[in-house]
Amino acid sequence: MTPTPGSAPEAVVQDFADMSAALTGFLSSVLKPSLDPVGLARIYYEFALKQVGETNMSNVLSAFRVIKTQPPQTIADTLLEVNKSDPSPQANIVQSIVAMWYLGAWYRPGVKGSGGFGPTPLQVVSSQAYTNGLVWKVMQSHPMGFSPLTFGYWSQEPGPLSTFGVNTGNGGGQ
Amino acid sequence: MSADTPQQYDVVIVGAGVSGNTIAWQLGKAGKKVLILEAGVAVPDSREDYMENFYLALAKTPESPYPSIAERKSTPKGDITIADPAKLPTPRATVLGLGKGPDQSYLVQLLPTGKNAAPDQNGNVRGLQFSSTYERIGGGTSWHWLGTSLRELENDLQMKTKYGVFEDWPVTYPEMQGLWAQAEQAIGVAASTVQQEPLEGVGLKFPPGYQYPMGPIPISLVDQTISTAIAGMQVPGMLDGDGDPTMYDVFVTPTPQGRNSEPYQDRRVCAGNTNCIPICPIQAKWDPTVTLGQALDTGNVTVSYQSVAVNVAVEGLNATRIDYLVWSSDANGNITKEQKFVSAKIYVLAAHAIENAKLLLLSNNKDGICNTSKQVGCNLMDHVLYLTWALIDPNDNPIWGYRGPLATAGIESLRDGAFRKHRSSFRMEIGNEGWNFPSGDPYTTTMDFIQGTNNAQLNGKNQRLGGLALVQQLNSVLTRQFRIGVMFDQAALPQNRVTLDEKYTDALGIPRPHIDYGLDPYTMEGFRVAADVCSKIYERMGATEFTRTSVGQTGDFTYKGKDYHYYGAGHVMGTHRMGTDPDKSVVDASQRSHDVPNLWVVGSGSFPTACTANPTLTLMGLAFKSAKSILAALAY
Repeated sequence: MTPTPGSAPEAVVQDFADMSAALTGFLSSVLKPSLDPVGLARIYYEFALKQVGETNMSNVLSAFRVIKTQPPQTIADTLLEVNKSDPSPQANIVQSIVAMWYLGAWYRPGVKGSGGFGPTPLQVVSSQAYTNGLVWKVMQSHPMGFSPLTFGYWSQEPGPLSTFGVNTGNGGGQ
Repeated sequence: MSADTPQQYDVVIVGAGVSGNTIAWQLGKAGKKVLILEAGVAVPDSREDYMENFYLALAKTPESPYPSIAERKSTPKGDITIADPAKLPTPRATVLGLGKGPDQSYLVQLLPTGKNAAPDQNGNVRGLQFSSTYERIGGGTSWHWLGTSLRELENDLQMKTKYGVFEDWPVTYPEMQGLWAQAEQAIGVAASTVQQEPLEGVGLKFPPGYQYPMGPIPISLVDQTISTAIAGMQVPGMLDGDGDPTMYDVFVTPTPQGRNSEPYQDRRVCAGNTNCIPICPIQAKWDPTVTLGQALDTGNVTVSYQSVAVNVAVEGLNATRIDYLVWSSDANGNITKEQKFVSAKIYVLAAHAIENAKLLLLSNNKDGICNTSKQVGCNLMDHVLYLTWALIDPNDNPIWGYRGPLATAGIESLRDGAFRKHRSSFRMEIGNEGWNFPSGDPYTTTMDFIQGTNNAQLNGKNQRLGGLALVQQLNSVLTRQFRIGVMFDQAALPQNRVTLDEKYTDALGIPRPHIDYGLDPYTMEGFRVAADVCSKIYERMGATEFTRTSVGQTGDFTYKGKDYHYYGAGHVMGTHRMGTDPDKSVVDASQRSHDVPNLWVVGSGSFPTACTANPTLTLMGLAFKSAKSILAALAY
């Protein structure tokens, strides 16, 4: 059950993917591969757009475009306002975009968890969003319930983080 | 009312789960005509339907893949809306309903009060919530069993003789060995007797030359790390020294598991999806639909789905028919029902420990049947589960959780000893899923480092991160998480019981189970010892323990000044206990009712004591025994 793709211009989706790459620490070519059967970048862009509205989304992308030539970590730190004590509403939207890539679900901007657990998302974007969550790659693993690996892999150490699509910036593994 | 069909059945079975399907298969193989009445919906054509439910569920609870009770979008306040059990034809106990009122919880029980109850004059803590859940669907709850296929220990079956507490089982250990072997073949248990040999010391015995049907599942890196770190470790049987001066060895053994290490029954080998609970996506783990298929293949077994038994009619000595409601639901959730009945020579209730008790109590106009002993619904037990979790030191290698089947090894060496005179025994299950169970990770920790919160306790500096910094931080902590779950041989207490609720019904008008529940000092003292053993293990590993408890919520209690939290293990037992004495037990060793000779009541509800192994293998073994006794009765 994948949401129907909308009509956002390809250039905007590419900007969204490039921004997301910096925010998530992954390669843009992983988030939006040239051969892309899932089309997650477009799905996420359009999903977020629907949630936060045209103005907010365009403000986020404008802020990205101003600094897009900077190093990825600088882009992430700036858009997420990591050095401010309280993130602005716009940075909260950026947080939700990061969370969507990591966890495949849309979290309401600024809504936090409590009692030992994270916030409940609005919804899981789609089953493919779940199985493409980045957090599983960050753990050098696979989504729970979606293993591309084979019998017995769990008794051996996984491959290096760099083989999971992370932008380590120096072309090497950890 | 109309009879079901012109077909004459030898046996009618209520419930298409482990026990019901096993018995149907055995009877069908012997040429007997069997009808299974299954309350819930049919087994789907493809498990992809259930996988889609799982992927889109807001909370990946054990019930999440199965017919949905929860909305897929949360409310503006961030709550998950779940269906009112009064409006469902086959509501069931769910994790999302725990601690909720009867508009959300199928089981009607006291709500958490916000503070931990004080022990009564006998030291019991009452008013707690029974926290295990179950499914009511074709295939039953074991769609989401873990696959753990341990045998019981010799002394598990003779607690009274050996330790002077509780009851002995009416089945001998040698007989159980044969029944376990049958169940292991049927399930396809992967294990090695050689690897189990170190447990001879606690009374795990195999007949000479016994071989499991397939080789073992490799243990995980988590298992390997713990096993190495605790080499040579010993702990006392009792914390305060009294009653058991022995020091006990603590060591890890691979767990016999009902998942394939090689192709078996046309099913694939395990790919380590780390999702045995709530659903194996590739059916490498055996589940009862496999056995249901074998039963149907005999050509002698019929299943009637959406058919809820409401009465077992007893005339004179014998059961004469089962009344049941066939329900259907339209697109708007409107329920229609039609009452039917069916007669046979023999009847088998295999509906689940709580549902069996409910049906026995409901029968005969709610006067109940099979209840000379007054034990129906009593002695409700679980392997109440205590969870501890820790983080490997950043200077050590990661432990690599979130990989492999959910559990591949455990600590079984503390399951038996003289301490059982005084406190509950336990087994320790090593988890391969990081802090998924205690903290809902990787979600909670990920949101912590995105939002600057500290819900999972790993973001004490309330950092907000993005980019490669986020990747590295999450990688560092998530690959170091691990947990140990401890399951207790909970005492059988008559006051822990299922009755019919007088007020709340389901959409078919059937009274719902009312639960009274609590813990006794024998069980709680086990928690105290287990907490100490876990902490010592983490200490030896140089790991930092993060176990924490809440107060006054579902599963919270205080014992000897320390707060604990228990979870349900899903091992629901005891509600129609078996025994030799009709005044003290509901069924005999064959799970045949003492009172009604053509009625069998089967499943873990028959367990007189909880024992120390996960119950599925044993309850399936008992189903084989019941099938044999039913065939003998039919031949008589």
